[in-house]
Amino acid sequence: MTVTAPARGRVEVSGLTWRPYGRREPVLRAVDLTLTPGERVLLVGPSGSGKSTLLRALTGLLGSVEAGELTGSVTVDGAGPGARPGTVGLVLQEPGAGVVAATVGRDVAFGLENVGLPREAMPDVVRRSLAAVGLGGLDLDTPTSALSGGQTQRLALAGTLALDPSVVLLDEPTAMLDPTCAAEVRAAVGALARDGGRTLVVVEHVLGPWTDLVGRLVVLSADGRVVADGPVREVLAAEREVLLGMGIWVPGAPPPEPLVVPPGLCTAARAPALTAPPFGVDRTTRHLDGTARTVRAAQLDDPLAARPGTLTTLVGPSGSGKSTLLAALAGFLPTTPEAAVRVGDDTVPADLDAPDLARALAWVPQWASSTIVTDRVLDEVLATSRALGHDDAATHDRAHRLLAVLGLEHLAEADPRELSGGEQRRLAVAAALLHGPPVLLADEPTVGQDRHTWAAVLGLLDAHRAAGGAVVAATHDANVVGRADVVHRTDAPPRPPDPPPTRTPLVARCGPLALLATAFLGIPAGVLSPHWSTTLLVVATQVVLGALALAAPGDGPGPPHRLRTVGLRLLPGLFAAATTAWSTWLLAGHDLDIACTVGLRVVVIVLPSAVLVPWLDPDRLGDHLAQRLGLPDRPVVATAAALQRVHTFGAVWTEIGRARRVRGIGVSARHPRTVAAHLAASTMGLLVRTLRAAAELAVAMDARGFATAQRRTWWAPAPWRWGDTALVLLGLLPLVVAVTAR
Amino acid sequence: MATTSTTYEPPPTRRSITATRPLMGWRTVDILTVAFLGAAFGVAFWAWGIFYNGPVTALQIGYAPLLGLFVGPWLLAGVVGGLVVRRPGAALFCEVVAALVSMIPGTAWGAGVLFAGILQGLGAELAFAILGYRFFGVAAAALAGALSTPLEWLYETGRFPDSWASIPVLSSFAGNGGYYAEWVWRDKLAYLGCMALSGIVLAGVLAWVVTRALAAAGALSAFPPGQERRESRAV
Repeated sequence: MTVTAPARGRVEVSGLTWRPYGRREPVLRAVDLTLTPGERVLLVGPSGSGKSTLLRALTGLLGSVEAGELTGSVTVDGAGPGARPGTVGLVLQEPGAGVVAATVGRDVAFGLENVGLPREAMPDVVRRSLAAVGLGGLDLDTPTSALSGGQTQRLALAGTLALDPSVVLLDEPTAMLDPTCAAEVRAAVGALARDGGRTLVVVEHVLGPWTDLVGRLVVLSADGRVVADGPVREVLAAEREVLLGMGIWVPGAPPPEPLVVPPGLCTAARAPALTAPPFGVDRTTRHLDGTARTVRAAQLDDPLAARPGTLTTLVGPSGSGKSTLLAALAGFLPTTPEAAVRVGDDTVPADLDAPDLARALAWVPQWASSTIVTDRVLDEVLATSRALGHDDAATHDRAHRLLAVLGLEHLAEADPRELSGGEQRRLAVAAALLHGPPVLLADEPTVGQDRHTWAAVLGLLDAHRAAGGAVVAATHDANVVGRADVVHRTDAPPRPPDPPPTRTPLVARCGPLALLATAFLGIPAGVLSPHWSTTLLVVATQVVLGALALAAPGDGPGPPHRLRTVGLRLLPGLFAAATTAWSTWLLAGHDLDIACTVGLRVVVIVLPSAVLVPWLDPDRLGDHLAQRLGLPDRPVVATAAALQRVHTFGAVWTEIGRARRVRGIGVSARHPRTVAAHLAASTMGLLVRTLRAAAELAVAMDARGFATAQRRTWWAPAPWRWGDTALVLLGLLPLVVAVTAR
Repeated sequence: MATTSTTYEPPPTRRSITATRPLMGWRTVDILTVAFLGAAFGVAFWAWGIFYNGPVTALQIGYAPLLGLFVGPWLLAGVVGGLVVRRPGAALFCEVVAALVSMIPGTAWGAGVLFAGILQGLGAELAFAILGYRFFGVAAAALAGALSTPLEWLYETGRFPDSWASIPVLSSFAGNGGYYAEWVWRDKLAYLGCMALSGIVLAGVLAWVVTRALAAAGALSAFPPGQERRESRAV
């Protein structure tokens, strides 16, 4: 037996009460809880019982992103939970919500940077932390975006382990994962638990797989009190009925029977079936440097037919393309072969206008929050019916009854964006079914539901089928798959081998500051260019330098599409040059000389950016801005994190547009009002989602010591190389030409 | 004829709720929110750019200074950033991130868009600074929108004087300038007027509306606008 480190991780919660502003009732009421060092605790309770809130209180972050009234105290080993950064580690429910960097190594090192660990010491700690969660085989340069959901959750765990926490908190870490990924995460948590010396608190709905990993079970009631607490088996045995009454998935209990929904609540228009022969969906990824790569994102191997009254499920591991196939069935994505998906014999969903699409099918997307199109729950349910012209008393009555079945009636007047994730998903189901579409395409309709709400959702799906509707669901839920008439298994299409590495252009060897500075040099060069004859010379110099920058000496295949990339980026600039020249000609005395001068000036300003900006890398830009220019660390890190996620914003924008379309709310260029409404709604939706993401990330970052990171160190150095000097010097050349060649 | 007398109560003066003290004590959620808002606006800028091309072309063919009427949306980020977080630097930070993000996929202005973002953000920041970071109502928003424009206008229309031609070194500047340097003063001033008007309406007032809508959606509960909304409902 080895000598163990002094026990740490003693958590004492006393009299903790929390009421967020704007709520009448507290979420947590006088919670008293003592966790001994090394204890492993499972925390359960019905939806909305304040489990996540209690976890945040344990990190000391309650109130940091939400305002409210807090009384009572939380201490970890006698001190406040935030006394030492990283004392309390937190893993969030949504994979990726806490990812801060583009590469695995950098992400794990985030906490180490915040506490100012010297760079040389980082790789060891990072490798150890990754090995502890079973990710030791990953290259430190692996992009975080290439990880599966399970790997991403384990990455988050490794990130907290790097700071050697005394307490590790996991907030439904497997709720959004497929069974294989969930098992990987549990294995990593199990290894952590065996290692001892750390207190562990897990929040979960589905208890079965966790009961062997934990020793103690704490149950919170719907009104935020601790109602049961003790050894896990004893509590399960003694409180079984209470737990089942709360809707908790108690191990060994058979799945609940679907709720019997009154007839007439669900209608489904008689319509020809939605059918598709085997098809594939290709996805083209465009990289910042302008190159694009097309890979098969999803593949349907057998013909699919959503016939009236049937439930078809798509099953397969996360990332195998189930969501993509559903989106293609709804007509949002092009298929190979073209127009594979048909409604009836000859109608292609993609060709339908918004109301006709809504009449043909409904869609509940994976992120239910993005289909929200109104600001009142009742309106949300009615939106599609209204778009289709059904706004009568009978429809309203059915809307209320649908909400009642799903346990949302008391929220009918609330703003749907303020609901919890599980509530939003149920709302999306109600909103999809009210107008009686013949086909419902549902992406994970049961995620995050307790036994009661699960039974309600299943009951509605059954009622929809009984009324003659069809359901196609992508799901990990074995209890749903077990009820299906047809099961389609999807596997991730094999990735084609990566293309052989290409030669890198000279410009790729330059750092971000030199790229930015040289792009900026286009501005004085343009402003100082006098007559068009000189300006032409300046442009010629820039073209020669641009060709040099993009030259890629050496052996091997050349980098693809260099000219096309520059051309595409130059296009808006050339457009601006032409219109500016024209307006100058018009307003400044119809002088062709001056007009040409001004137009060329714009070209001089824009050209360097078109060549250089594609090579800017957000992470490296952050490194250099903070380390070389001495800009304040925290804003720089936040900006780099935001830049990292820009591509997800584009995806959100697209998804909002799809949701509106399938809800029957169309956009037509002939009706400017619909265009304005669409832009406004998309922008607002994007902003709301963005703010949520920022708040989540703030919690994850603070749990890793970001709040107190005044003197950070950096995972990656920010060297200024000779190539940078060369680039800036050459970049000055057009300016010199502009000033001297007159 | 009966006379009725009504006691007229003046409406209570509506003061804005300021950020928690110290004003420069940025919380992580403040920093991330401004950065993310900026990035989201950057994406929106880029999407709006597609719609912007239409009026731009039409107006450039007609009377180009009217183009100023369409600059407002590009100034939104700074004003919204300032209205949400209410700390010194928020407006500038938000607008610069938005400009940076819209620069990366390539715009009609190249790296100039980042420079413009700094100028516009500085203008909005100036407005909130003048008000001591204490007022964030619709008038403050309108002022921030209006002040976002002059520096940008100077950059786009500035022209170095011809008289510099005789001065050594400065001679190379003489007669040169920005995009619209060659316009006559009347057109340049018309352009400034259009920009300011657009700044007031499409950046200032619209930013105020957007902020209120975000607060109504429950997305600003950690920020002063969220608190204002809660207090206005808790009668």
